[in-house]
Amino acid sequence: MRVEITRFDPDKDEVPKTQEYEIPVQADWKVLDAINYIKDEVDSSISHRWSCRMAVCGSCGMMVNGEPKLTCKTPLSAYSDSIKIEPLANFPIVRDLVVDIDGFMDKFRRVKPWIVRAKERAEDMEALNEKGTYSQSPAELVVFKQFSMCINCLLCYSACPVVANEPEFMGPAAIALGHRYNLDSRDQGDRERNRIFRGAGTVFSCSFANECSEVCPKNVDPAAAVNQAKLGAVIDWAKGLVLPRGGA
Amino acid sequence: MAGAAHPEAMAPLKKGATRTAPPQTPASWWGAPRVRTYLLFGATGIVYLLAGGVVWHLAWALGKGPDAWATALRGLSNPLYILFHLVTLVSLIFVGVRAFGTMMPKMQPRGGPLPVLAPGVVKAVIFGAWAAITCLLATILAGGIF
Repeated sequence: MRVEITRFDPDKDEVPKTQEYEIPVQADWKVLDAINYIKDEVDSSISHRWSCRMAVCGSCGMMVNGEPKLTCKTPLSAYSDSIKIEPLANFPIVRDLVVDIDGFMDKFRRVKPWIVRAKERAEDMEALNEKGTYSQSPAELVVFKQFSMCINCLLCYSACPVVANEPEFMGPAAIALGHRYNLDSRDQGDRERNRIFRGAGTVFSCSFANECSEVCPKNVDPAAAVNQAKLGAVIDWAKGLVLPRGGA
Repeated sequence: MAGAAHPEAMAPLKKGATRTAPPQTPASWWGAPRVRTYLLFGATGIVYLLAGGVVWHLAWALGKGPDAWATALRGLSNPLYILFHLVTLVSLIFVGVRAFGTMMPKMQPRGGPLPVLAPGVVKAVIFGAWAAITCLLATILAGGIF
């Protein structure tokens, strides 16, 4: 099989270029197996990220024939005699197939992706401990579980036309994870996050291309999260206008 | 990939020590059928802009006097106008189906007092209401009511 791989060495190259390899392949190989074969047997200078090989760690996302894919999950047999592997679109390229994800981490921190609690009094804590601290029913878990399946593979960022053109845009995964905490029955930070979601470059920048949900390898459906977050941010804003203390 | 994304797309707030190549985007990103549907969805805005122009023209004719109004109405019977109105109707139905059929079922609030309905039920309710309102308006315009 002919494999084309993007090569970029920041010390030598001005722009990324393409290098071709001819390799023998096995019927049960994934795309990642082909890259690892080239790295191990043909050209050890190739740089790429991977870890778990079972679609859990989210580190092997790349463009395969122009589509964002998790390479450990994508069978090589889905392609004909040649395949083109490139770094994830819409991200600065560090080297070969490795992209800089610091931009995502900056956006991710903004949504406070952790459980936010109001300051608790000692007697409240005693009551909480008696019934099981922050206990949660299966029904309460189901509300947000789908959005907690995100593995931060960033395929959604590569597929999103808004990310490609609007650098301020927070992007699908960060918003989906912020919304995940807004739906968590243990969390009390939804007002803070909704204030962030109403700001520039957040949920209302999404024009519903729905591409993020199409490429998501874990069926998280980030487009649903973004659009639910829009509704949540508007309801929160309206409550702030008409209810005493903003409905808090 | 060849196509260039915005040079600052997904750039970190603090630049690292390593020089990076600018972000790229597939040159054929618009080629996938579902992306073409999205682009067409956005492009219908042009049709609505032109339709708005027609409405302004009619409003102007109405204010100008009976002769201008009659001329404007005669103009509406021109085959080109009829074709344009058909295009507007198709655009409206396309946008309605995509927005209400795809986005609304996903947009249902979770964790509130209302149950989350199956996408098919949401579509049935929305499209049923759409059909009922269309029938009601058509009946009013045809002089059936009032």
